[in-house]
Amino acid sequence: MAPLMNDVRESATSPSPGRANQAPVGATALEAVGVGKSFSGVTVLKDVDFDLRAGEVHALVGENGAGKSTLMKILAGVHVDYEGTVRVDGRAVQFAGVRDAERAGVSIIHQELNLVPELTAADNIFLGREPLLGGVLIDRHRIIKAAEALVRRLGIDIDPDSRVGELRVGEQQLVEIAKALSLDARILMMDEPTSALSATECETLFKVVRQLAAAGVAIIFTSHRIDEVVALADRVTVLRDGRHVLTAPIETLSAGAIISAMVGRDVALTHRDREPSLNAPVLSVHDLTLDAVSSRGWRRVLHGVNFDLRPGEILGIGGLLGSGRSEILECIFGAARGWRGGDIEIDGKPAVISSPVDAFGFGIALVTEDRKARGLHLESSVRDNIALPSVGALSRFGVRDFAGEAALADDLVERLSVRCNSADQIVASLSGGNQQKVVIGKWLGMKPRVLLLDEPTRGIDVGAKQEIYELIFELAARGLAIATVSSEMPELLLLSDRVLVMCEGRQTGILSRAEATQETIMRLAAPGIGAGAGGAAT
Amino acid sequence: MNPLRLLSRTKLYWGLALICLIGALLSPHTSSGRNIFLSYQNLTDVLRQVSITGLVATGMTIVILLGGIDLSVGSVMGCSSVICAMLLTKAGWTPASFMAVPAATIAIAFAVGFLARFVFNGLARGRDVDAGRRREIVLGPWRSFRLPALLGGAAGAVAAVFLAAQAPTKFGVLAVLLATPCFALVLGAINAAFIVKGRLQPFIATLAMMVSALGIGRLTGGQDFAVTPVYTGTNATEAFEILRSTVGGLVPMPSIFFLVTIIVFGAILRFTTFGRYVYAIGGNAEAAKLSGVKVAQVQFSAYVISGMLAGLAGVLFVAQYRQGKPDAGSGLELDAIAAVVIGGTSLMGGRGSLAGTFVGVLIFGLLTDILQLQNIDSNVQLLVKGMIIVGTVLVQEQNLGQLMARWRGGPLMTAPPRSESADIRRSPKGAEAPSVTTREELNETS
Repeated sequence: MAPLMNDVRESATSPSPGRANQAPVGATALEAVGVGKSFSGVTVLKDVDFDLRAGEVHALVGENGAGKSTLMKILAGVHVDYEGTVRVDGRAVQFAGVRDAERAGVSIIHQELNLVPELTAADNIFLGREPLLGGVLIDRHRIIKAAEALVRRLGIDIDPDSRVGELRVGEQQLVEIAKALSLDARILMMDEPTSALSATECETLFKVVRQLAAAGVAIIFTSHRIDEVVALADRVTVLRDGRHVLTAPIETLSAGAIISAMVGRDVALTHRDREPSLNAPVLSVHDLTLDAVSSRGWRRVLHGVNFDLRPGEILGIGGLLGSGRSEILECIFGAARGWRGGDIEIDGKPAVISSPVDAFGFGIALVTEDRKARGLHLESSVRDNIALPSVGALSRFGVRDFAGEAALADDLVERLSVRCNSADQIVASLSGGNQQKVVIGKWLGMKPRVLLLDEPTRGIDVGAKQEIYELIFELAARGLAIATVSSEMPELLLLSDRVLVMCEGRQTGILSRAEATQETIMRLAAPGIGAGAGGAAT
Repeated sequence: MNPLRLLSRTKLYWGLALICLIGALLSPHTSSGRNIFLSYQNLTDVLRQVSITGLVATGMTIVILLGGIDLSVGSVMGCSSVICAMLLTKAGWTPASFMAVPAATIAIAFAVGFLARFVFNGLARGRDVDAGRRREIVLGPWRSFRLPALLGGAAGAVAAVFLAAQAPTKFGVLAVLLATPCFALVLGAINAAFIVKGRLQPFIATLAMMVSALGIGRLTGGQDFAVTPVYTGTNATEAFEILRSTVGGLVPMPSIFFLVTIIVFGAILRFTTFGRYVYAIGGNAEAAKLSGVKVAQVQFSAYVISGMLAGLAGVLFVAQYRQGKPDAGSGLELDAIAAVVIGGTSLMGGRGSLAGTFVGVLIFGLLTDILQLQNIDSNVQLLVKGMIIVGTVLVQEQNLGQLMARWRGGPLMTAPPRSESADIRRSPKGAEAPSVTTREELNETS
């Protein structure tokens, strides 16, 4: 135990972070050569080169799924099986895990903070490495002292003896940074550090980050906010579809250039040819708001969303993760948690929808994003899954119509060309694409009029995606009104007649097919870019 | 079908057969050389003994299939036995009749009301299947509310008059059979209200009821150490004896109650939408809710059924042991859970059956019988029962083929049969992990 105690004292009291083993500012601290990673056959990262200099702030940007988090996790020892080489201070390393990486001075702060809310800030910082009194009792006094020293060094105002659960998210973030410093981190990675912070909290964070960089710590961070990248980073690396696109000093790049680099891929889009729908809207949403309860009290998740949806039309809903896209669908389906405001009209008549059963009655169907947890009974057969929403309607006096259920399921299995041995097959044994077809099939049995799709092609391979697209087009052609959320730009552009873009719970615009391009959507979706880069917000 | 898999699927029944075989072999013989265990008298006695546990286990199965648990059944049964015994032996408005009559009135009114609404719904839907498929038929105010309320009110009034007329004298058999389960049903409804509306965990809500119902039972019983003896013919109606008689000299009355109940609820689970929803909610409550299943309604019904069956068990207890006492059912909930689990129902919900529970109850009963015939010390009996629970469940959860392959020392069987749900349940950690990671990675928050 003795060395640990020394560690704590030393790292907490030394005037600057681990100056002893610090590489000189400007030298390469961390280098990755030809790094690649694939998950069960899907390549997430391919042949990426990356280098990080001591004392620099390096931004890692890219769209959802570009591979930023994966790269970080490889560098921090979260993923241990990958291709390519990682070098720290010029020496090739192969971390056995996060602890191993921490010993080498590499720390990562995940987007979801890793703190125990019931413990104090000081206890969290030294969790698992508590200095002990006589080898048994936790030396509270020394923990507090060491934590105070760390907090002082960061120049922030947090009481180390306050419970973390009572701190604001920004402060919790700083506690995480203090924890990394107590580990003597020379390389600090932050995944989306500002995603949950207010403007002033961001300022504090930036100050601390710059201060650390000045002290020689190398910092990598990811962000969706281009303005932050421009404000904070020394160099920027752009990833796209798991490949390295460019690395350049921030002075040589404009916000626009970064965005083009992020989205600029060749996409062969086969738009379907269709006249804009002129029918009366089947679904109208006016001033939809949602207040959700979170650990920090009530939070407004949706600020006034308005749109109409006509039969045969496909409305795409775009935006970044957490921008309130899924919440729109859940509100309409009556499945959202929290208080809903605003009006929903079906066929021009006000509709009261407070539960999925109500939505059901109006012919609204929702295909959820997480099909395994919320959409399917994985251990049941294809038939039972497809028939479940229809069981009640097919029954008479509560007695099930087994023949009717089987006919319905078999019919849908054929119509959707679900590839399974028979309708008796267990859903868990189907591929992702076929599972998705089953989820959609569940609802088609109910003859819905409005179909809400949340990430309809998540985790599905390319061929199956195409089939799902064709299915969606076919359903629209048959007069279904469809609203679909998607994180993938090309998919959004391919599917949608119009694109509604969300940013931080606000509707920032509805783009017609002609107006919608990857760039216009990204401009509306990225917070803080609207003013800076000209802005296409209308 | 692969014989090994067939064996694997029916292993519960083989277990039952094995227990019978062991019983027959170990059984002492009468002086005339007849096997006591296999005698008709002994086997019907076993069926009689398990009836009370069996009734409770039937309700418990439904609750557990739903992903819940009902710890209160033992106390509710004990409390019901006190109520039943008091209704039988005490004339006038005792605490028992004060509680039972209103409870029965309310329960019957609601039951008939909902039944009427259900029938109207069924009639309406029958005429418009196609529209019904898309949306639920919305009945007019008369058929959806006013008529059912009227009918329910009328039924409640009739019940109230009938039961209130019995109160000044002592209750008859029919009246206790009506009033006591209804009283227990109300306790079950209180459980359900806390769980469904109050969002309490079933374990906690029913634990609270388990404690409270014991209190209610003791308070109702008053002095006499809260034991209310029932001497049919002297202090209670002679007719009550019918509940412990052997019908036609063949089948004990309690087992008729048990058998009818388990068949009725087995059919409900198998053939009705309610049954389908129970499995759906137990399998994945969130997915069921998003599929338009009225989760709260189904959960409510399950706890109400469990309470009602515990009440019925209470009446049978009084008939069997000629007394009502508040702690009559202490440990009964655990016996019931054990029977359910032995029957192959997963405590996580969504998987299992009443047929399994029936076998589980029988295995438990036969085992007790065998041990008693051997004159084994009752404490040793408890030990053996505990071992049997663990052993049976262990065998239930294992795939026989894999076990045998392991014993042979060879490699494990080739890929486990995907279509067998038990395999899927046990394998997700290993089989699903890579794809889950993929999903997280592909949709990383970058």
